[in-house]
Amino acid sequence: MELQERLNEVFCQVFDDEDIRIAPEMTADDIDGWDSLSHVNLIVAVETTFGIRFTHKEVLTFKNIGDLLNCIAAKVQ
Amino acid sequence: MPFNSLDYFLFLPAVYLVFYLVGDRARWGVLLAASFGFYAALKVPYLPAVLALVAVTTYCFGIWLHRAQAPGTKRMLLWGGIAANVLVLVAMKYLPFLSENLRAVTQFFSLELQVPAVRALVAIGVSYYVFQAISYLIDIYFEIEEPEPHFGYFALYLSFFPKLLQGPIERTGDLLPQLKTPYRFDYDNMRYGMLLFAWGLFKKMVLADRLGIYADAVYNDIHAANGMQLLLGTYAYAFQIFMDFSGYTDMALGTARLFNINLTQNFNSPYLATSVADFWRRWHISFSRWILDYIFKPLQMQWRDWRTWGTALALVAAFLVSGIWHGASWGFVIWGGLHGLYMACSVFYKPYQKKLYQKLGIQKSPYLKYWQMLVTFHLVCFAWVFFRVNSLSDALYICRFPFVSADNGLHKVLVHGFHAQKAGVVLVAGVVVAAYGVLARNEQALIIWNRYCALRWLCYNALLLALILLGGESQGHFIYFNF
Repeated sequence: MELQERLNEVFCQVFDDEDIRIAPEMTADDIDGWDSLSHVNLIVAVETTFGIRFTHKEVLTFKNIGDLLNCIAAKVQ
Repeated sequence: MPFNSLDYFLFLPAVYLVFYLVGDRARWGVLLAASFGFYAALKVPYLPAVLALVAVTTYCFGIWLHRAQAPGTKRMLLWGGIAANVLVLVAMKYLPFLSENLRAVTQFFSLELQVPAVRALVAIGVSYYVFQAISYLIDIYFEIEEPEPHFGYFALYLSFFPKLLQGPIERTGDLLPQLKTPYRFDYDNMRYGMLLFAWGLFKKMVLADRLGIYADAVYNDIHAANGMQLLLGTYAYAFQIFMDFSGYTDMALGTARLFNINLTQNFNSPYLATSVADFWRRWHISFSRWILDYIFKPLQMQWRDWRTWGTALALVAAFLVSGIWHGASWGFVIWGGLHGLYMACSVFYKPYQKKLYQKLGIQKSPYLKYWQMLVTFHLVCFAWVFFRVNSLSDALYICRFPFVSADNGLHKVLVHGFHAQKAGVVLVAGVVVAAYGVLARNEQALIIWNRYCALRWLCYNALLLALILLGGESQGHFIYFNF
């Protein structure tokens, strides 16, 4: 399954919404319920799903879903 | 030199005139000299020296951080820079509090340790520019920003006088590039800046200071107040602090606009928030963003393996820091702790709350929104009690006091020093501010405002007249100066 689709599933699960369709340019403002409080739940879910671990610096500097996707791609390779 | 003083009304045009007449290459120098002059006008000789110390230290650490290659050295330099700034803050603001509590502990355990009493220092503005300096260093560490090579611009970024005493706490990327942009006279900026300044004065002098008379009369003698007065006194304080601080922010933003600089907007109708988390997205935005990015997020990441508990703990810790930042007193600590606790609890119940609303089919009901606003406002007001009280025993007295008691007749609501005429002015001014809040977001109203010059001038004159006629009872100082 393509990376973006797998990440989409994580988003649907974390934000409890089957209709979410993520795109690289999307940010927290575009997804209902994605705020600073739920952000780390998303990060933990991504880490568990892909079997990776992000650093503080990586998490603090993600600007959009594209940045998150690139970081996951670099780690799973 | 507060914004609502005669000195400032002479200082600002003089600074603008010099700024306008000199060339772009010297403008940073004019603003830097004006900022240090503005700070020196507080007549506390050590304050400009502390500002200069923070500027030099942070500038050097910023350059060293950028040059360092090894991750260990970088980390050490970051913590060194943060420690230097925190030390300045502690020395200026927290030593008397620490010494007082340490003495209480030694007395309690009958220890023979001599803890010297420490005299409180004036620390106006220090917590604002120290937080700005820390954010500068962290942003360089995470390579979000490059260090500023020009010391003059960097010192101006820390000390720019409109935001020096009470914020907004500006990010490097938001303010520094604007300070370097060549200045061109802009009529709209000039007009909007002056209007915003006058509007801030109105909020402060006509509304906040009158509300303050009521809140002070109740809170300075709480045993004499009945239940209704305590409740209204708390509401009055909630709106006093909002009008006082947002009035100041309008004046800061208005002043900066004269120099073509946009500072961060600190408020967005905070009492219309539908949850405490939402309140913090609307109240003192530049500060809550700082707490969120530099305290909450790193802690939340550190404790992420504890999932919801980690988030809840990070929230409590971040808001305790927020409370302590406001000042060295247990009232502020409890205020911060309460906000942390409200939000920590919401982390646990929010998913169930969402499911409950879905089951009841009320998730999109406007009444639910109004109910949430009402509950949030009262949670915030309850926390304000600890923020405002003169002593913790007063806070406990208020918490125990039955607000609804037999002697709560409305005829007894007004207190000594606050008669019906003042209440009338507060009501009318409150309606004017609320109407402005609604109309400023209405496209139709904006079109009418821009089209009719006579209408604009009528409003400008009404605003000036209100300031002249009703601003006389102003107390002068701003609440957030103390932090």
